[in-house]
Amino acid sequence: MKKTLPWLLWLWISAVIVGAFYYAPLAAKFIGKSSRILFFHVPMAWVSFFAFIAGAVWSLLYLLRGRQERHDRAAAVAIQLGLLFGVLAIVTGSLWARIEWGAWWNWDPRQTSLLISLLFYAAYLALRGAVDDPEKRGRLAAAYALLGLVVTPFFYWVMPRLAPITLHPEPVVNADAKVEMDTRILQVLLASTFAFTVLFFWMHNLQCRLQALLARREEARG
Amino acid sequence: MSPGASNWIPDWAAEALAVFAKEWRCELRTQVALNTLGLFAVTTLVVASVSLGPLGVSKSQGSALLPVLLWLILLFSVAAGLPRAFVQEEESQTATALRLSATPSALFCGKLLYSLTLVAALEALITPIYVTIMNLEVKDPALLVGALAAGGYGLAAGSTLVAAIIAQARSKGTLFSVLSFPILLPLLILVIELTRNAVLGDPAGLALGQLLLYDASVSIFGLMLFPVVWNP
Repeated sequence: MKKTLPWLLWLWISAVIVGAFYYAPLAAKFIGKSSRILFFHVPMAWVSFFAFIAGAVWSLLYLLRGRQERHDRAAAVAIQLGLLFGVLAIVTGSLWARIEWGAWWNWDPRQTSLLISLLFYAAYLALRGAVDDPEKRGRLAAAYALLGLVVTPFFYWVMPRLAPITLHPEPVVNADAKVEMDTRILQVLLASTFAFTVLFFWMHNLQCRLQALLARREEARG
Repeated sequence: MSPGASNWIPDWAAEALAVFAKEWRCELRTQVALNTLGLFAVTTLVVASVSLGPLGVSKSQGSALLPVLLWLILLFSVAAGLPRAFVQEEESQTATALRLSATPSALFCGKLLYSLTLVAALEALITPIYVTIMNLEVKDPALLVGALAAGGYGLAAGSTLVAAIIAQARSKGTLFSVLSFPILLPLLILVIELTRNAVLGDPAGLALGQLLLYDASVSIFGLMLFPVVWNP
């Protein structure tokens, strides 16, 4: 199973790419073929937020369950991956915004919220880099990650104050709790979101194993 | 109820007040934080005022720009002085003695109270000078005082936990700004909006409630997370 999972994942992602360009129709009210980038941008943004929440959960586990190094490692790797997917979401979003809004960056509330979240988690990694002792690094980073979990929701209340009108398209599930989307677009979007989520877990597992091996080698060297 | 339980609250409060008194005694002995905060704020204020020129800004521009400048001056002054509360304990190797002599929650509250009085003193010094120099007409002074109180408390509460974190890391000075600014950003946006409303004479609106909620959340979680940060 361990060997077949990556192949299944790559097969699934290939199918999503084909589906995004040849199966799903172009979305109405979008300029040209710009809507196709959303099949990648939306799942990247989702995985980024999912990774940050997962990082906070692993941080909490680290503090509650005897400060095991594997929980700290899992939290750090999740946040690294969250940053990676967050940067990709910002880049793909900017490409789309240039076509659709005429500017790479617009201080749209959702753009800004993601950017500030990325700044926060980049600070988390800076903190980890500034502490040598693993135990101290684990507890300080876990406390900071949990503080971030408290502050982050405020971005979503506060940012719309800077720009009350958003040009961003409606979320997949709109304010009336309805999904107003072509069925084939929705199918590809959900398939892509699933693919990116599994990709996150696969990368997370690989990176955690690699980090554990590196830590063991360091220990062996003394 | 155990015999000591009835005395728990007075003991805890006495510990917090003892930490607060100790902080001020040390501060008045050296006056490092007071001088750093005060001089940094006054210098930045003068630079901002000189940069705007002798005529300053028009009233319409002023209501938008001047509250932002005021809070940026306060934020950077806080970043220059507040981390010292914990950094000094690590540098002078008194942190271990403090760990043994005070419960973490009392220590956090004592340090927070100290930071709060420092920020309040800074605001009391800077705001009147700023309003005078910039010719800022405030239509609702009561709201401005409310914004300064709630904003100052948020700055102190957010900074206290971050100061405890960076005190145990390398490159403390730069790390404080990097770690605290993303946490303080929602507070800044809310407090700038409140200050702008005070200048224009508009009602406080939802911003005041959200600011108080921010202050309460950061204080409660700061208090809960502090023992993790403080105790090895």
